[in-house]
Amino acid sequence: MVTRPAQWQWHALEDDLVVGRAEASRRPDGRLFISVDAWHDVVFHQLAEAALAALPRPLHTVVDEADVDLTAQWRGAGFVIRRREWEHVVPTDPIITGLGAVIAPPGVTIVAAADDLLDEVDRAVRAENCPAMPAEILPGRRGLSTFTAAELDGRYAGLLRLAPLPRRPRIGLIAVRAGMRRRGIGRALLADTLATLHRRGVETVSADVHEANVAALALAAGVRARRVSSNLELELR
Amino acid sequence: MPGSANGVQLEGTVLECLRNATFRVELSNGHTVLAHISGKIRKNYIRILPFDRVLVELTPYDLTRGRIVFRYRN
Repeated sequence: MVTRPAQWQWHALEDDLVVGRAEASRRPDGRLFISVDAWHDVVFHQLAEAALAALPRPLHTVVDEADVDLTAQWRGAGFVIRRREWEHVVPTDPIITGLGAVIAPPGVTIVAAADDLLDEVDRAVRAENCPAMPAEILPGRRGLSTFTAAELDGRYAGLLRLAPLPRRPRIGLIAVRAGMRRRGIGRALLADTLATLHRRGVETVSADVHEANVAALALAAGVRARRVSSNLELELR
Repeated sequence: MPGSANGVQLEGTVLECLRNATFRVELSNGHTVLAHISGKIRKNYIRILPFDRVLVELTPYDLTRGRIVFRYRN
């Protein structure tokens, strides 16, 4: 039996024991994501059926591509792959990355991003990259993340967001403004951030790269980042 | 051993990340289980690494398997 204890929650019950759960929530960018946890396929399908009947479209979910069973279950429910991101482990040691000698392009200064700059960055990056990019920059909501910016003539040229996760920080975003790319700004941002982390004793960071982002994939390969897994974002329309 | 309507949950430490999106976790009672990440954790892009302290929900059908439902801040 499937119950609905809250607007966006469903429980599968067996002898009054919860044997599966479905839950939906909105991400900061407004998109609706669903998850289902069940020990058996039949329970998964019961929960998915109940939740999908009640939730609006489009609907999203995230799976590890290596989890072939779960991926197949979602695809069986009608979801299709919308984006694939490769998770990389990036070394910070400049001897390994080869970034030790990297300097910012002429006129570009690498700085800690101020709040007013972040607002500008958020608008610019979204305008240039939506709807493909995930919600990584939230105006007025820095959270625990640190932001490093590249400034050129007093204007934003690039941005790197770092989430200071325990043991292995995560690079959430490297963005360079359109018209300012292919000048080494992203590489300079990465070099500055990785060098700082290396001095603090952090050996590696993680970074997710969209499979179609050729520039970012090349940047990751160039610093000897190791591809370790892939996440799929699935969508039901 | 905290139990609830959600099943048996135990704290543990991640020993190893396996290739098929599962993790080997040593529970606080000394047993080792294979666990995958709950959809809720994955949905929130929470990463699990070796040595992470986690809360594992065990399946009532097979006590050698479980699901990571929470990662503690180290």
